[in-house]
Amino acid sequence: MKLLETLINRRRFLKATGAVAGAGVVAGGAGVVPGLTTLSHARSPAPSADTTITKNICHQCPARCGIDVYTTGGRVHAIYGTSDHPISNGKLCPKGPLGAYILYDPDRFKGPMKRTNPNKGRDQDPGFVPISWNEALDMVADRLNGLREREESHRFALLYGRGWGASCAGLLGNFGKLYGSPNVAIGHSSMCSDGSIISKKAVDGIGGYNSYDYKNANMLLMFGAGFLEAFRPYNNNMQVWGYIRGVKVPKTRITAVDVHMNTTLAGSDRALLIKPGTDGALALAIAHVILVEGLWEKAFVGDFSDGVNRFIPGETVDPDSFEEKWVKGLVEWWNAELKDRSPRWAVQITTLYERDILATAREFGTTRPAIALYERGAHAHSNGIFNGMAIHTLNALVGSLYAKGGLAYQVGPSYGPLPVNADDYLDDWARTGGWKAQPRIDLKGHPDGYLLANNMMQEIGPNSLQGKPYKLDTIMFYLNNAIWTAPDVKAWEEALKELFVIETSPFPSETAMFADVILPDHTYLERLQDAPTYPFQGWPMTQLRVPAVKPLYDTKYFGDVLIELGKRIKGSMGEYYQALDNTENVIRHLAKGFESDPGDNGVNSFESWKEKGVWYKRVYPYRQIDGEFYEWDGQDHARLMSADEVRGALFKTASGKFEIRSGWLEAHADWIAAKTGRDPSRLMFPIWEEPSHPGGGDLYMVTPKVALHAEGRGANLPVAIANMQPTLGGRNTIYIEINPKTARARGIPDGSRVRISSDLGAIEGYCKYYEGVRPDTLVFPMEHGHWAHGRWAKGRKPGHSGEITVNQSDRITGQCSYYTTKVRIERA
Amino acid sequence: MAKWGMVIDLDTCTGCQACTTACAMENSRLPGENWQDVLFYHEGKYPNVQLKWLPRPCMHCENPSCVSVCPTRATYKDPEGGFVLIDWNRCIGCKYCQVACPYGVRFYTDEKAVVQPDIRTVFPSEEGRQWDPPWKGPQDDPRRGIGIQPHGVVSKCTFCYHKVSQAPTGVPDLDEDIPELKEYVPACVRVCAPKARFFGDLDHPESRVNKLIADHRGTRLKDETGNKPQVYYLSGGASAAVPSLRAVHQDKA
Repeated sequence: MKLLETLINRRRFLKATGAVAGAGVVAGGAGVVPGLTTLSHARSPAPSADTTITKNICHQCPARCGIDVYTTGGRVHAIYGTSDHPISNGKLCPKGPLGAYILYDPDRFKGPMKRTNPNKGRDQDPGFVPISWNEALDMVADRLNGLREREESHRFALLYGRGWGASCAGLLGNFGKLYGSPNVAIGHSSMCSDGSIISKKAVDGIGGYNSYDYKNANMLLMFGAGFLEAFRPYNNNMQVWGYIRGVKVPKTRITAVDVHMNTTLAGSDRALLIKPGTDGALALAIAHVILVEGLWEKAFVGDFSDGVNRFIPGETVDPDSFEEKWVKGLVEWWNAELKDRSPRWAVQITTLYERDILATAREFGTTRPAIALYERGAHAHSNGIFNGMAIHTLNALVGSLYAKGGLAYQVGPSYGPLPVNADDYLDDWARTGGWKAQPRIDLKGHPDGYLLANNMMQEIGPNSLQGKPYKLDTIMFYLNNAIWTAPDVKAWEEALKELFVIETSPFPSETAMFADVILPDHTYLERLQDAPTYPFQGWPMTQLRVPAVKPLYDTKYFGDVLIELGKRIKGSMGEYYQALDNTENVIRHLAKGFESDPGDNGVNSFESWKEKGVWYKRVYPYRQIDGEFYEWDGQDHARLMSADEVRGALFKTASGKFEIRSGWLEAHADWIAAKTGRDPSRLMFPIWEEPSHPGGGDLYMVTPKVALHAEGRGANLPVAIANMQPTLGGRNTIYIEINPKTARARGIPDGSRVRISSDLGAIEGYCKYYEGVRPDTLVFPMEHGHWAHGRWAKGRKPGHSGEITVNQSDRITGQCSYYTTKVRIERA
Repeated sequence: MAKWGMVIDLDTCTGCQACTTACAMENSRLPGENWQDVLFYHEGKYPNVQLKWLPRPCMHCENPSCVSVCPTRATYKDPEGGFVLIDWNRCIGCKYCQVACPYGVRFYTDEKAVVQPDIRTVFPSEEGRQWDPPWKGPQDDPRRGIGIQPHGVVSKCTFCYHKVSQAPTGVPDLDEDIPELKEYVPACVRVCAPKARFFGDLDHPESRVNKLIADHRGTRLKDETGNKPQVYYLSGGASAAVPSLRAVHQDKA
């Protein structure tokens, strides 16, 4: 029977394809089995004559890889890396090829819509009905004009996630300034990796993500970050990996620190499975060894006046005996903290072996150039500021800051000015209105909230719900789904029930389920959009998305939605946006900056930018060589910089040095001590502090980003789903990694359905025994548990960690402590 | 005539699966039906655990067991280039080749879809094939198993025949870093970020693939079967490795 079915199926196939092929293939009358008839209508390989290639930038992580989009017959069918793009160099990560699936996602919104069901909730159908763009924009503009007339413009907030460039997120600041709201716009950085940015700011005064010169480094010490899973720019990281591990002589040594065995740890020379939240203790012990054994970079750090090392474990040192060069507070730090932070001490904190800590410290201290890097794993805890400072200080101790093979900070592109200046269009309300006295809804920069943070998005839902400092009225989202990604999602759902919600994503989402109006964006292959590089090699670079196809549906680029809304605001604000006109006009003006400063690839205009997709100049302006700073003089890093110049550009601290004793924290010592109970005499140093773990459970829960986490859409892309957790997962399943010892103690069989719970609630999923995960920790990728993300995402297990993650943040950095809630696990 | 072969350097392979998803895109693969897979293994006891992986395309064997068992001669060794291909017009879907292949790289996809809901119901085919996704490529050559997989047949990696077969004659290697050659490079090789994959002519004395095999002790998987793969692995003991199975513990609670 099976064979017969097959033959019948094949007959249908041959008939159909024969018809497509045209002339004289199969007559194929009813009941005729065509058998082994030859079919030949092979077509030529891509790119055929009618295949076009457009330049674009991948949208699925922050990295911004240049991509070539192949379109034939109006359909996008292939994506490859752009060969002459400095990040992608013709290559892709596993997410790169997914772009066509995103473009043709059958769950996309087809045009603007408004809600007809006033009730909101997970079980409520919004009852969306299509409306015209004019009606949609007028509806939102009326609301914004009304708030302004009632002198309540501060009650409008705009939240954004992955802002790309000057033609989208770059427009938001002026919108807020002209409209009059401190809450336009609020970025997501506190739910991302502000713990890294701000702990760096505390010591070097810059506060940004670093650029890294991996290719010239001989040792990498990585705390969390997932270098071979998620750390941006992932594609380029892997290119570098192939070079430093396969080609470069000497091979770069790598030690990776994490809570489970992932591909990064597996590929490294040394894998350290550390207790969550204790990375700072390891960094302190490494620093201790570097000082005791005299391994610090004396040309950068300084030395004892007589050259005799007085760093003896447990003994204080006379600060006057040490002459500091580019660091400040080294000996005070030793006396206050480091003298007692031996590897043996760190064993109890980190659970690592003393021999491994010692070996890591010696290798890091003796292998130059060396880089210590860290992201959310290390600092998403209540002690994150200290963990980050301690790790970043390792870079200072070995002299890697701004050095070849070390780390630096990203420089921006040579953009031209916008066609009009927003300051010329401020009306009275914008200039001096009552909104100026209002705090931000997230209490960022406020003594009652998070005085020293950059953003506090995770507080917006809970704050508005409680009316502290006030209730919002209208909230708009751009590439942001905080109602799902924030911890304690229930509070957000309650908050959004009270607000008029504007969603701009092209895709269904949990936010959309609470939205009153949907203003859908183009997907990235349909957009004209600029995107300066995320921190990469430091030198300036900016890219362009060029539409590969006309928008499939009645969608509008978010930047243009914003401009169209602006045009509808009464008074001079509307005039500003009339003058700005549209995003293409904005981008053409940005590109004018290239006329006087052409890129290395000859890009000097809007047209050439569109053709090449990228403008860049491969020169970083600064370099530290043997403890002196030099500026590029046009040919070489040869112009010696003065201490004042270094303070102005490279160490923006009060002292102009790398402040191990942080002047910035010290200036706020009273506030910090009052809010955290910390000792005012020690809180400015990288110190060890036990993290606080809420949740009420006995196991840590860590939910890393994996390689196929296609930002915002991975959960609804079948190809991504099938390959989401290669290390342990099934083709259709993501498992919760559990150490067999931990599982057996709780009577949980391998592969069984389990329930993970905290004080906030419970989620379910399937577990898998894994010897590579710490016995005190559960690990699963942050991906699934969506309830309104599309047909493939719906109901997919395991449930979302956010449902059981307590909203706790580092009081200094504002970093949302995603990896610090403790949970329980049991058989479901 | 070239004899195309692939070299996979396990010392630099990062296990990212870009080869898998690029192949899925280029060849319109159904989700999870990976012609080019990466297999993961782990062994040892905490905290000393080994995680390792093996990227696995079709080996395009010189002496392919799939070819010798095929009752309809649907699967065949192309003498021009050495590709092992399937003529979908001849294949009757008996799956004998799937059983005979020592590497598990042949796919019959008429069963229940790996990822639910079945994407084939979202993009149904009007041409009697399994589905018709909007992103399918322009190449369509059923005599060589290229294009959308029809019902009732087996499919497999073609070494991106539709690209490779168009390459200029006489080139020793198809290297994606040479701009004029990149369009002829198999998708999995072209995207490989750490450059762990190389593709070239095993019969060309000057090819880089031959040099790598010679200098870095290229090995073939399951060589004892006599299939003589045209895919070689380089391994100096890094994490990506040909699986050497220690005793597997069957832990149950």
